[in-house]
Amino acid sequence: MSANMDALVDIVVKGKIKEAKAATQACLDEGIDAKTIIFDALSKAMGIVGDLYASKKYFLPQVLLAANTLYQGLNLCLPLLGGDGTASKGTVVIAVVEGDVHDIGKNIVKAMLTGLGLNVVDLGKDIPIKDIIATAVDKNAQIIATSTLMTPTLAGMKQVEADLKEMGKKGAIKTMIGGGATSKEFADQIGADGWSYDAVEASHVAAAFLGI
Amino acid sequence: MSMTPRERVLAAMKQEKLDRPPVAVFTQSATVGEMENCGAAWPEAHSDAKLMAKLGAAQATYFGFEAVRSSFCLTAEAERLGCNVDPGKINSTPMIKKHPFKFDAMEDVYDEPNLLDPEEFLKGGRPAVILEATKLLKEQYGNEYAVIGGNTGPFTLAGHMVSTENLVFGIMMNPEMVAKWIDAVNPIVKAYTQALADAGADIIQMSEPSSSTDLLSPDMFTEYSGRYVKESLASVKGADSVLHICGDTSEIIPLMADTGVTGISVEEKVDSAEAVRIAAGRVACVGNVGVVNPLLQGTPEDCAAAAKRIAEAGFNVISPGCGLSALIKDENLFALVKAIKG
Repeated sequence: MSANMDALVDIVVKGKIKEAKAATQACLDEGIDAKTIIFDALSKAMGIVGDLYASKKYFLPQVLLAANTLYQGLNLCLPLLGGDGTASKGTVVIAVVEGDVHDIGKNIVKAMLTGLGLNVVDLGKDIPIKDIIATAVDKNAQIIATSTLMTPTLAGMKQVEADLKEMGKKGAIKTMIGGGATSKEFADQIGADGWSYDAVEASHVAAAFLGI
Repeated sequence: MSMTPRERVLAAMKQEKLDRPPVAVFTQSATVGEMENCGAAWPEAHSDAKLMAKLGAAQATYFGFEAVRSSFCLTAEAERLGCNVDPGKINSTPMIKKHPFKFDAMEDVYDEPNLLDPEEFLKGGRPAVILEATKLLKEQYGNEYAVIGGNTGPFTLAGHMVSTENLVFGIMMNPEMVAKWIDAVNPIVKAYTQALADAGADIIQMSEPSSSTDLLSPDMFTEYSGRYVKESLASVKGADSVLHICGDTSEIIPLMADTGVTGISVEEKVDSAEAVRIAAGRVACVGNVGVVNPLLQGTPEDCAAAAKRIAEAGFNVISPGCGLSALIKDENLFALVKAIKG
């Protein structure tokens, strides 16, 4: 890999946010195509960040910084890709379910899934279930990822499963859940396809769904 | 040994040897079962002192827990300081919908923390309602039960002002501005803590969820939360102090103790025996029955077993590890109380 690509990986991992645009531009100027930069430098960097988080060397502040550094590079590369996310490895619709506004965890999952090379459609927080499902259908998403920290909103996750079943889409669109109030047992109980404890695990779950 | 529930709770805060630990909800205590039983319900009880006192007493009068508590959420201070809050429903707590101040570390644009004067803060909004409810609880139940006043920690409250994600990201981008905001809210937090004690609270339980290790690294804890908690909670006069933090607190329990609080309240993500071992007698341990599991999703037998295991581990007060879900079934809370009181 080129010295510029190595430098970009290092910049994202260390969160040198002000250097990210120039470093990405240097890779482009060298003739490396945007897709290669995304998958071989930016994704690789987020993988390293994930490992550092998993081993408790990084905590949320460092991950947030790396994620924002990643987006600096990504914002330069994405417009150079043809089509609407067609160069991605899959599409995920992500949201915090209606009734809950705690979205930091969701934002970190978004960064990790983006780092995985997925097209992440982020609907935000406090989102009605019908909107999540309609967007997933509209965008031909392979995955719906929902989170909540609270308990009254767990019912929304159950609703996602029921609605997908009714539409005959259960299984065709995989579901994954996470957040403080959720658990593996709860995911199994409502029939969600996956659960993860944190954002790094979430990227593994999504990768397994898509066979990447 | 004949003790009132209040005497038992206060002895437990001093880590005195007791025939059994007290069982009390130190965190958010209201459930739909209590609301239906006592005739005071959310969302009205968040903003009416009489209803708040009635519902805040229901953990004792209905379930038999050994304390009463004012306030059911962490949005009262934020609302008083300008946050837009949705009051929630009978089974869901109020939510902050909008943060009033700009704090954009990416664009390097920040509002100055122009906040209410602490004295003015105490005079109105829901903090004044909570203070009034605390007085009523003290008058009506204070001889028999320990009165707990709940409030919000400084890092968490600063996060409410500017969005928690902005504040956490700010630590990496502009730590001086982060400190400026926590410095600005802390005198308000300190005044409110003391006002709750003066209104009759025996124990102030401060919730500081945003300094959990899910958000801050342990080496950031003291700098951005602990040193402020020392000033605004541990310094309280005339009441005991308990610091509640969610998540896996095993690495920060010693730092929580360093603040000088009387007790710590932790959730089930830290093993009960491990928490007691790490606390090493420096602070009373309060907790740590899982709110989702077993209280919400388990059986009465699961709840009783968890309570006994936590008592066996040496917790000083058996309590839920985090704010109760309003949807928890009555039989699970009855089972929790019975497992400890017999």
